[in-house]
Amino acid sequence: MSEETYDALVIGGGIAGIESALTLADMGFKVLLVEKEPSIGGKMALLSKVFPTLDCASCISTPKMASAYHHPNITLKVYTEVLEIYKQGEGNFEVLIREKPKYVDPQACTACTLCEKACPVIVPDEFQFGLRGRKAIYIPFDIAVPKKAVLDIKNCIFCGQCERVCPTGAINFLDEPKEYKVKVHSIILATGYKLFDPLKKPEFKFGQFKNVITSMQMERLLSPTSPYEGILKPKDGGEPMKIAYFLCAGSRDLKLNYPLCSQVCCMYSIKQAQLLLGALPLADVYIFYIDIRAFGKGYEEFYQQAKAMGVNFIKGQPSLLDEKSDGTVVVTYWDSNDNQFKVDEFDLVVLSVGLWPNGDIAKVFKNAKLELDEYGWIKRIDENGNPVKTSIEGVFVAGTASGPKDIPETIIEANAAASQAAKYIIKYKR
Amino acid sequence: MVLSEKKELTVFTYKKLKGIKMPPKELVEKVRKATIIQNKIKAAIINSPKTVPEIAKETGLDTHVILWYVATLLRYGLVEKVEKTDEGYWKYIWKGR
Repeated sequence: MSEETYDALVIGGGIAGIESALTLADMGFKVLLVEKEPSIGGKMALLSKVFPTLDCASCISTPKMASAYHHPNITLKVYTEVLEIYKQGEGNFEVLIREKPKYVDPQACTACTLCEKACPVIVPDEFQFGLRGRKAIYIPFDIAVPKKAVLDIKNCIFCGQCERVCPTGAINFLDEPKEYKVKVHSIILATGYKLFDPLKKPEFKFGQFKNVITSMQMERLLSPTSPYEGILKPKDGGEPMKIAYFLCAGSRDLKLNYPLCSQVCCMYSIKQAQLLLGALPLADVYIFYIDIRAFGKGYEEFYQQAKAMGVNFIKGQPSLLDEKSDGTVVVTYWDSNDNQFKVDEFDLVVLSVGLWPNGDIAKVFKNAKLELDEYGWIKRIDENGNPVKTSIEGVFVAGTASGPKDIPETIIEANAAASQAAKYIIKYKR
Repeated sequence: MVLSEKKELTVFTYKKLKGIKMPPKELVEKVRKATIIQNKIKAAIINSPKTVPEIAKETGLDTHVILWYVATLLRYGLVEKVEKTDEGYWKYIWKGR
C-alpha cells in the first residue's frame, strides 16, 4: 500500500469536482481527483445542451474533462471510491481509497472497441439510462475521459473473446482492487446528486408504459450521440408527434416527504421542449406545471421564447395515466385554469425528474461528523456568509452535493470551494 | 497474430484461481436469449430494410424489444438506418457479417 501527500482531495469528477480541481491545480496546488465511475464528466457530460443559451453541453464539459486528465498538478483516479477519512488535526486528513479493478490496462488500451464488438454479453447501458444495451466490456460513452475500456466482471461469462481480439494485450483478468492511503491538507466534496427514481411513484407508470420516459432519457435522445440516432418512441420506434412533460416529478411532493424544489426541472424541460420543436417541427409539446420557476439570468426570457415558439403550458397536475394498445398514453389531468378534469392523449410522456441527495459520503468520515440537512444534502454551515463551508473545518462542498442548483451556480460554487480550500491549505500546510 | 496469443489467456488463470467452471446459469441463459433475438433481427433485415413494427411482425417479438436491440446493434455498427417512412418510422438494414 503506497502513501502519497496531496494539497487537496476532490471527491467527485462531475463538473463541480473538475472545476474545483482545475482551479486549485492552476494555482499550483497538487490535487487528487477521485471519481467512482470509469469516466469523469458526471451528468453534464450526458446532457444535450444547456439552458438558457442552448450551448452544446459537451462542448463546455469536454475541454474541462480533458484539461483535468492532462493537468500536471492533477492526479486522476477513476473507478475509485473513498472508503475512510480521518482528520488528524487542522490541515491533515488521512484518506483510504480503493481503485476498483478495470481488468483492462489503461496504458495499453487504445479504445479500438474490438473487445466490445467481440463480447457476446449485452446488458442495459447505464450511461444511456437503459435505452439500449452495452457489452460486458465497454467504453462508458463516446466522450468518456479517460476513453478506456472497462470490464463489468459481474456480467462476464469468461469466454475470453475480448482477450483474444485485443491487439495490444490490454485485457488482464488478474487485475485486483488497489487500496491507497493518502494524506491531504484539504477536501472538496463534489459528490453531486441522484436523479429521482420514478419507480417510487407507481402512478407515473414508468417501466410499465414504454412511452413514459425520464427527462434524462430525453436528454440522451436529444444528444448528438442519441442511442436511437434520433428521437423515437421506445415502444415502437416511431417519431412522437405529441409530447407531454410532467414537471415536479419527485420534487415538491409531500407524499414523498420531499417538499424541495429541484430548481432546474422547469428550465431543462423548457429547453428540451425548444429542442424538440427544432428536431420535430411538426410535433406538439405540452408542459404540465405547478408553477414555472424561471429565476436565473435570462430564464424568464427563455420561458417566453418557448411560449412564442408554440410550447403549450398547462397549469395542472396529471392524475391518472392509461395506455392504449399502440403505446399512446392517455392522461387525465386537472386543469387549474378551467377548474376541471380533462383527458388528452400523448405519444410520449416525459417525467421531469427532480434532484435527490447523494449523501452517502457522510459515512466515510470516521472521526469527524459531516452534517447533512433534514433531507440528506450536505449541510452548509454558514449558508449566507460562506456557503461552501461544511461542519468539518478544511472540508468544503461544491455543486449539487449541498442541494439542487443549475450549472452556472455549480461552477461558481466550485471556484468558491477551491478558493476556500486554497486559503485553508496555505494556513495549515506544514 | 494478436499479442494476447503469445501467452496463456489471463481469463483461464482467473477461472482457475476463482474455481469457476461455468458462468452463472442465468447469465448464460440471458446471452442465449439475446443471441436468438439478434439472429431473428438479422434474418428479418439482412436482405431488405424494415421498420421496427415490421421486424416485430416478422419475428413475433414485441416492438420495444426490437427497438432496444436495434439501438444496441446500431452502436456496434451491425445495423444501419436507411430511410424514414411517411409514418415516421426508420427502416433498418443489417450491415454486419
